[in-house]
Parts: sequence; C-alpha cells; structure tokens
Amino acid sequence: MGKKSFMKGNEAIAEAAVRGGCRFFAGYPITPQNEIPEYLSWRLPEVGGSFVQGESEIASVNMVYGASAMGIRCLTSSSGPGISLKAEGISYLAGAQLPAVIINVSRGGPGLGSIQPAQSDYLQATKALGHGGFHTLVFAPNTVQEAVDTVYEAWEYAERDRNPVFILLDGCLGNIMEEVELPEMKEIKPEDAPEWSLSRRNGRDYQNGITSIYTEPLLEGLNAMAGEMYKQWEEDDVKVEEFMVDDAEYVVVAYGIASRVSKEAVMKLREKGIKIGLIRPITLYPFPKASIRNLDYSKVKGIIDIEMTIPAQMRDDIELQVMGRCPVYEYGRSGGCLLDDDGVYEAIEEIITGGAD
Amino acid sequence: MKQSFVFSGSGGQGIMSAGITLAHTAIDMGKHATYLPEYGPEQRGGSAKCTVVISDDEIVSPLPKQCDNLIVMNEQAYAKFEEDIKEGGVLLMNASRVSAKNRDDVREIAAPVDDIALELGSEKAANIVLLGILIGATGVVSRETLAASLEEKFKDKKPGILEMNLKALDKGIEIGEQYK
Repeated sequence: MGKKSFMKGNEAIAEAAVRGGCRFFAGYPITPQNEIPEYLSWRLPEVGGSFVQGESEIASVNMVYGASAMGIRCLTSSSGPGISLKAEGISYLAGAQLPAVIINVSRGGPGLGSIQPAQSDYLQATKALGHGGFHTLVFAPNTVQEAVDTVYEAWEYAERDRNPVFILLDGCLGNIMEEVELPEMKEIKPEDAPEWSLSRRNGRDYQNGITSIYTEPLLEGLNAMAGEMYKQWEEDDVKVEEFMVDDAEYVVVAYGIASRVSKEAVMKLREKGIKIGLIRPITLYPFPKASIRNLDYSKVKGIIDIEMTIPAQMRDDIELQVMGRCPVYEYGRSGGCLLDDDGVYEAIEEIITGGAD
Repeated sequence: MKQSFVFSGSGGQGIMSAGITLAHTAIDMGKHATYLPEYGPEQRGGSAKCTVVISDDEIVSPLPKQCDNLIVMNEQAYAKFEEDIKEGGVLLMNASRVSAKNRDDVREIAAPVDDIALELGSEKAANIVLLGILIGATGVVSRETLAASLEEKFKDKKPGILEMNLKALDKGIEIGEQYK
C-alpha cells in the first residue's frame, strides 16, 4: 500500500492521467472542471508533455485528434456545454478510430444551466456523444479513488479499441476532497506509439494515414466492425456493483454521486428491516443489463431510479430490462440542487409506502 | 462515530481553508474525511459554504441534509443555512458579525472571532480561532495534530505567521472548553 493523499477529485484525476501515460492535454475553461487543466498546465511540462489552453472547445478537441493521430496518449475535459461543443470532434475521433480520453465533470443543464453539480448528461454520454451513430465506453466512478483508477486505466481501453473512452463525473466528485492512493507512473516511451500512428513508418518509406472519410463499402465495413466491438464490450467490459440485492423487494439503481447517497439510504432502510438493495452501474455504456434483467421478479416489487437530474435519464435503459415485470419509480434533484441523505431516504420510504412515482 | 460540519460565510473569510484544515487533520489522525466546497461564480464576497464529514468508518455519502455542527461567519450565512443544523447540534457563530440567536434547540456558541484574531495580529486568523473553539467544545480532532498541520501549512510563510495562528488556535480552544 502506498501513501494516502487528501486530494480534490479534479486534481487527483489530472495526476492519475499523467501517471496513466497522458502527455497531451487541450481544453477550454469551464466550471466545475477547471482544476483539471489548471493542474495539468504545470504538471504536464514537468514530465515532458504539452498543455494547451485552446481558443475554444472545438479547437481543443481537434488538437487532441492531432496528438492521438501521432500516437500520444491525450486527454480533453470539460463540462456539459463544452462537451456539446466538442461533439463534432468526438465523432471524428471515433470515425478515424483514434484513442483519446474525454472527461465530463457535469453540471446543471440544459443550456448554460448551472455551475453547480448535476447528472444531466447521461443521455448525451451513452446515446449520442456526436453524429454518426458511434459509441464509446462510458465509465461513471463514484469516489475520487475510483475516478483515479478509472482515468489511470482509460488509455488501455482506448488503445485496445482504437476508440475514445468517456468518463462521466459530476461537479461533486470533481470538487470533493477525499483520501486517495495514487498509482505508480506508467513508463510510456515514444517508441511504444501504436503501429498505426503517424509517428510510425514500420520500416516502409511511406507514412500511415489517418482519416474519417471513406468510400461506401469500406465505411459500411467499419460500421459493422464497430458494431461487433460494442457487442464484445457487453461480454467483457460491463462493470457493476450489486449491494444487498439477493433478497431485495425493492432495488435502487443509481450511479456516480447519486449511488453514494442512495447506498447510505439503503443501509438505513435495511436497519429498519426493509428488504432493499442497490445496483450501481459503473459502466453506463455498456449498461449492466443482466443485473437488472435477471432480478428475481417474484420477489422484487419495485425498481427505484435515483439520479441528480430531473427527469431521470437512465430510466429507459432500466425499463428495457425490467420489461414490465414490476413498476419503475424515480426520484431526483436537479438544476444544481444536490441530492442529500434524508431527502433520498424519505423519497424511497414514500415510494415503498405507496406514494408518488 | 460520524460527525458533519458546515462552514459558511463570504468568500475571503477563510471558510474553505478552515474546512480543508479540519478534514486534513482528521485524516492525519487516521480517521476518514470528505470535504465538499460549494460556491458561486464570484472570486470574493460571494457566499461560501463547505461540508466536512469526519468518521471512524469509511464515508458512504458525503451529502448530509443536516449537519451536527454549523459554523456561521456572517448574518447572511445564518439566514441561508439556519435550517441545516440538526436538533441538539452545535451552532458556532462569529459574534463580530452575527447577532445572538437564542435558539433553544441547539448548543449555541458565540465568540467575536474577528476581533479576537485582530487583537492577535490579523483578522485572517479568525477561521483558526473558530477551529480552536470547535476542538475545545467537541474534541473532534486533537490540538496536537491540528497544530502540526498548521505548522506544515505555514512553514514557508513570513516569520510570526505560524506563531500567530497557533495563538489563535489556543485562544479558540480556551473559549471552546467553556462550552464542553
């Protein structure tokens, strides 16, 4: 065990990125993620990396496209409004089969919304990060430690798949300070750049090419390959935490910060003898379908979707697995108003005793 | 044992710094702690609030609805957060800027921490007087560990700054102990 530090989420994940091999960052300021670029602005040069504050989000994500094409582990981060602006570039990354890591420390929306924390970007992250019908792995850690471990490993997935990896946090996790153990620095040498990258000739006298525009039959083939890859993710990469679901009559489904507040409520309700459990998707895409599909619906009387956004956005994904076998309820706060222990506890109690849906 | 603290006031009053110092000290003592800041877009003068949770066990939720200890540095903070304290909790007020509340559902502590800090050398140490009072009244962390984290924090500052802060801490503890 290494030494534990007491760090702010944004700074801890920035350090985890560096230790995971990230050597290029480009981004544009937006609350509540500003400590990520602030930290990397001095930290990346220390390890021979580069930091750019781009003139815009669009410029920044395209700089990431360039760095990735050269085989450099690269990152961009933003919050909801900035991710919308990066949508074109994220789609181009997926189209050109380029690995990159994108972090959204989300806030209240839509529009400019609120600078306070919210989980209002679930649908954007899991369904349509950009045009053209592509997916990325979407991870939603719920502690600073898990966020650090996720960011640290993110490039392994990105390079394995030649596809961007998306990490969805919220303003609470970005700004909270918690104990964290930082991983060792990964030694990534320039000569380790992937074979397909522009920095490699692989003994030929001509360079590799990177593009996201293809002739028709080739593009269809690439689309089909991507489809196969998404199916493989369902087999290999689903991550989920199940807490006290075996005998549960009610099951809360919550991710990220909402899952922590929900777990506290579940523990308190268990003390009162209520048979309740929690399913926490850690990957939002691929969604942990089986955990919800395979619940024992002869016992389960209701599923409760708890999110820090109104209306709930994960509900459709849940309902597709419940298939009408029990009612699905939702509770949330939004617009920068945070979920809290008592609020969630009381909302669940009200649902169980036959209150609102 | 799990305890929660809300520090509130205006940007520039050392609210965030007090919260971080308390949480950090708890971790140095082998406890678990979370610190969550909330503030508006202003750099100075806007409302500032942070929530600290300290526990012997791992912390599941860092978002309590009501806290065991509410610290208010000015009248606006009290008006905004007066409902956020549990019955029987500690309400610690900066009497230099907050008038007495005479609530009978909480343990009220009022001390003119701005004036005390000014007398010791700088109003900037008011937040350390507050932390001292909290320690004196609740024993949430030890004086020694907090003093050590102040030594670490102020080691590169001008001579005299650390000493002033340690004096502020001890003055606070002296006041807090009267409310044990």
